[in-house]
Amino acid sequence: MRIFHRTLVASAIALCAAPAVHAQELIVGFTRDADTLDPANHRNRETETIIRNIYDGILTRSSDMQIHPEIAESYTQVSPTVYDFTIRSGITFHDGSSLTIEDVKFTLDRVVQEGGMGNGQSSPRASLMGPVESVEIMDDTTIRISLSEPWPLLPAMLPHQQIVSRAHVDAVGSDGMATQPMGSGPFRLADWRRGDSVVLERFDDYYGGATGIPEAGPACVERVIFQVIPESASRVAALLSGDVHIINELPPHSMNQVNNSPNAQVMAVNGTRSFFLAMNNQGEIFDDVLVRQAVAHAIDRDLIIDRILGGTATTIDGILSPDAFGKNHDLPSYAYDPDRSRELLAQAGYPDGISITLDTEGSLRDTAEAIASLLTNAGITTRVQVGEGTLLTQKWRTQGGAKEGDMYLSSWGNSTLDPFDIFVPTHRTDDRGNSAGYANPELDALLDEAGVELDRDRRGELYQQAEALVNADVPYIYLWVPQDLYGVSTRISNWSPSPDSRINLHRACLN
Amino acid sequence: MSVIEQSPPVVAESLFRRNMAAFMENRLAFGSAIVVVLFILMAVFAPWIAPNDPYATNLFFRLQPPVWMEGGDWAYPLGADSLGRCILSRIIYGARISIFIGAAVILVATSIGILAGLAAGYLRGWVDVVISRLVDILLGFPYLIFAIGLMAMMGPGLGNIILALAYKEWVIPCRVVRGETLVTRELEYVEAARALGASGRHIMLREILPNILSPVIVVATIRMAHVIILEASLSFLGLGVQPPTASWGAMVADGRAFILESWWVSTFPGLAILLLVLAINVASQGLRDAFDPRFTE
Amino acid sequence: MTLTKLLERLVQLVPVLLGVSVIVFVMMALTPGDPIQIMIGDQIVTPEQEAQMRRDIGLDRPMVERFFVFLGNAIQFDFGQSFYHRRPVADVIIERLPATIELTLVAMIIALVTAIPLGVLAAVRKNSIFDRIATVGGLLGVSLPGFWFGILLLMLFAVHLNILPVAGRINYGISQGITPYTHFLLIDTLLNGRLDAFRNALAHIALPAITLGLPMTAILMRVTRTAMLEVLRADYITFAQAKGLSRQRILWRHALKNALIPTVSVAAIETGSLLGGNMIIETVFGWPGLGRLVVESIFVRNYPLVQAAVLLYAVIYVMLNFFADILYTILNPRVKL
Repeated sequence: MRIFHRTLVASAIALCAAPAVHAQELIVGFTRDADTLDPANHRNRETETIIRNIYDGILTRSSDMQIHPEIAESYTQVSPTVYDFTIRSGITFHDGSSLTIEDVKFTLDRVVQEGGMGNGQSSPRASLMGPVESVEIMDDTTIRISLSEPWPLLPAMLPHQQIVSRAHVDAVGSDGMATQPMGSGPFRLADWRRGDSVVLERFDDYYGGATGIPEAGPACVERVIFQVIPESASRVAALLSGDVHIINELPPHSMNQVNNSPNAQVMAVNGTRSFFLAMNNQGEIFDDVLVRQAVAHAIDRDLIIDRILGGTATTIDGILSPDAFGKNHDLPSYAYDPDRSRELLAQAGYPDGISITLDTEGSLRDTAEAIASLLTNAGITTRVQVGEGTLLTQKWRTQGGAKEGDMYLSSWGNSTLDPFDIFVPTHRTDDRGNSAGYANPELDALLDEAGVELDRDRRGELYQQAEALVNADVPYIYLWVPQDLYGVSTRISNWSPSPDSRINLHRACLN
Repeated sequence: MSVIEQSPPVVAESLFRRNMAAFMENRLAFGSAIVVVLFILMAVFAPWIAPNDPYATNLFFRLQPPVWMEGGDWAYPLGADSLGRCILSRIIYGARISIFIGAAVILVATSIGILAGLAAGYLRGWVDVVISRLVDILLGFPYLIFAIGLMAMMGPGLGNIILALAYKEWVIPCRVVRGETLVTRELEYVEAARALGASGRHIMLREILPNILSPVIVVATIRMAHVIILEASLSFLGLGVQPPTASWGAMVADGRAFILESWWVSTFPGLAILLLVLAINVASQGLRDAFDPRFTE
Repeated sequence: MTLTKLLERLVQLVPVLLGVSVIVFVMMALTPGDPIQIMIGDQIVTPEQEAQMRRDIGLDRPMVERFFVFLGNAIQFDFGQSFYHRRPVADVIIERLPATIELTLVAMIIALVTAIPLGVLAAVRKNSIFDRIATVGGLLGVSLPGFWFGILLLMLFAVHLNILPVAGRINYGISQGITPYTHFLLIDTLLNGRLDAFRNALAHIALPAITLGLPMTAILMRVTRTAMLEVLRADYITFAQAKGLSRQRILWRHALKNALIPTVSVAAIETGSLLGGNMIIETVFGWPGLGRLVVESIFVRNYPLVQAAVLLYAVIYVMLNFFADILYTILNPRVKL
């Protein structure tokens, strides 16, 4: 009875104190839960963000988007289709076993080979490895990746694969891997409360990660919690009240509030996602370049960036982000000039203006409605139609099939900042993401040449030419690349956001 | 024949008058009914009442506070939303959506419910089995999940919302009608009509229906309040009417992202839902007390 | 209700569950959208790799075949693999279930605990000021849109007053060392004798449970009031009064016992609709329950998960109705078994 009484008093005292946050417990207010903790069995960005703290890759990216060897010591390109990676020694998995060259091969085979996951299943991440044909062990420290055709993107894409332990996968199976992760990363899993949080603990024997990024060693904080808070206002509230220390997807309109708070600040990083308006180039209205130019002159991008995006986006005049490789920085800009729009429309045979529908998904509704009112103001009467993302994809990304619809507000991500996986799909004739239905053989030839060109400078030039070519045709209205915004507690040091939206926490400290 | 045909409606009518009188005496319920009527008038005359165009965006007035706060302006009495649109005007126009959808769903659902319920309760046999089983199946679905699934299937739009809600809503009046019909069909005057060779259709629609209408109307008004909240919930989840149409639920949903800095964006449309639904609920409670003898105390 | 009738009721469940399966399957099959495209998004893929992904989740099979496979497996409690979690759907659902059930039960308990005394008082003091306030208050409760009221509560208690947490079920630090016997945190913390953790879990569940339970409070109060009024008019109460039993004793011992029957059976049935109706509350409060998962799954076309979850809801609903009937029979001596 007395013990019970004492517990009662103790708990009462504990409750009176401010919510006791462990000094070394870093909590991330995160938009969503991981689908799985198996690095080879998902296709989801947020899931990878969490997994990346448990598992390391052959290569990694620093927050300035440079590629660094991580589990690899170094790598060389032997021929256009062959890469050799030298693997570091002395790396241990969380269970104390050593990471060997066998584990690296096993990991890549598991992803690349058909049926590699067991039970006849293949990894949904296979396509992220492009045309990888085989993975061979050359000697105890060297592994060779061979491609079926040249693919300059391989080093940029390898950070998307994390190395697993062969013995562990054999022991728990692919089913077990979903909930029992065991990697060589800075943190190990302590608890996964589905839908609520992923709790990670420091791995004390961590080898230190990439040597190219300074301050290596075991993680600074003892524990990391990814706390799922889907509502953006709730995430901001949790940050301001000190419940969490880092939040992702900070809405632009909350920036002032976070910056005015004594215990938090906004951290912004240039994102990699390009926003654009796709016009149906095969449609009756937008097959005329004059009409497309009229649209370009009708949109005041700076106004929308200033008012809706909190000034946190950079305008673009081609599909590539200003930070991307091969970006043409001398593209002409279509200035905001609604009178010019009306003139162009009249020239194109529409003196009374036109009426169109603008498709978009729910999350872009605000922007779409602002664009619609600017267009309407310039004689292009625009009605916004909101649909589910997956339906719009079917409607617009027809890969050459017939298209219905006038205009589509959308975006394309480019986490490698290499033109290959944004320029080609959105602009090559009949390609996967060519929502505008743009077809230009001259451009196709340029893109094809650049895709296999191994001379970096020459490759960059080709993409610059391509951007200039497209800019004159305006198949799309290129809008902006927004910054990714994070709210960060002032107690956090040594962490900065990364353009690929990863939150790597092994160097972050909590003061 | 004429006597049989005439007498029940006459009884129903005088009963209706007496009940109406009872309802009028309930001041709270009567007052609420007036509030509901005011909402309807507001919806009908929205273009004349609204101070601004509810669809006109002006990014320079984005998130402007209500008039009584610092930075407020009489141009936007309840402030402006994230696109600089007048919140008051949007609430006034939003009444159209809420009331129209509420009324349309109830109308469709009650019509189907009456027909199905009468058929099941009067014809019995396999008709009853089929309808009752269908009702059981639909009751097994969680309401909102069923509606969300249907909206995903059919796509957004005003007509589809009405359908998505009516697909399940009809079950409720159907159960009421079926139960009442089962009792009423055994009453003497119905038996007499049957003995005189009246057709099943005649008996169901002319003899039984007028006498079971009171509980159906009471249930319909109560359910209408519920349907308005459901529509708002669907809009809240992004499955409602197309923009820029103002829907109260969508306004709350859009405003919740700004609630830390600009509370007015989602607070006022939420209050509008609350006020309308509360008024309908109080009025229908009064109707129930007055019309449904089983609840008169 | 005889044993045969009980069995008959149980047999009737079969066509209902079958009907629910058919409808939910057809509904999902007719819904446009492609989970593979959602998964791939903007990332690199070749048509062969896309076809491979489709084969792996079985979407390359014709719809009729998929339906019969689904049905055949469902009978053996195998609901297939979740497209996104790549684990058995049953596992994914069961992990989320305790949070949802706990929230629902706490909401129902809050509703019962407030509704019954208020309903009794309203009946006893019929037409008094108290009765009227309680009636209007109750109507206010059913009229509150939960998604809106939840946000306001969150802003007030979690942000401005900062006395309650914003999201989640419990703080990790406090919850350490608690053995999960039941996976209901409020019970587990008590079983482990950890009052601090119990208080923490209670603080987390308070706002969502109140928001969810409020409309229910209003409904149950109304039912209690009506039932109580009916009972108070009954002969045996008059008889008890004639015998000279105290008013309090009559009220709480005799009258309430009988008035509770409809309240409890309505509560049992409504628990089903609470379970299926809390996805909005779960979204607003970041509660890691099933409802949020099901809605997300509809949006990403995770067919197996939606099918299994809806079937589960239907089973729970039907069973609750069944138990409400039995409860009614047991509690009400006038209904003969």
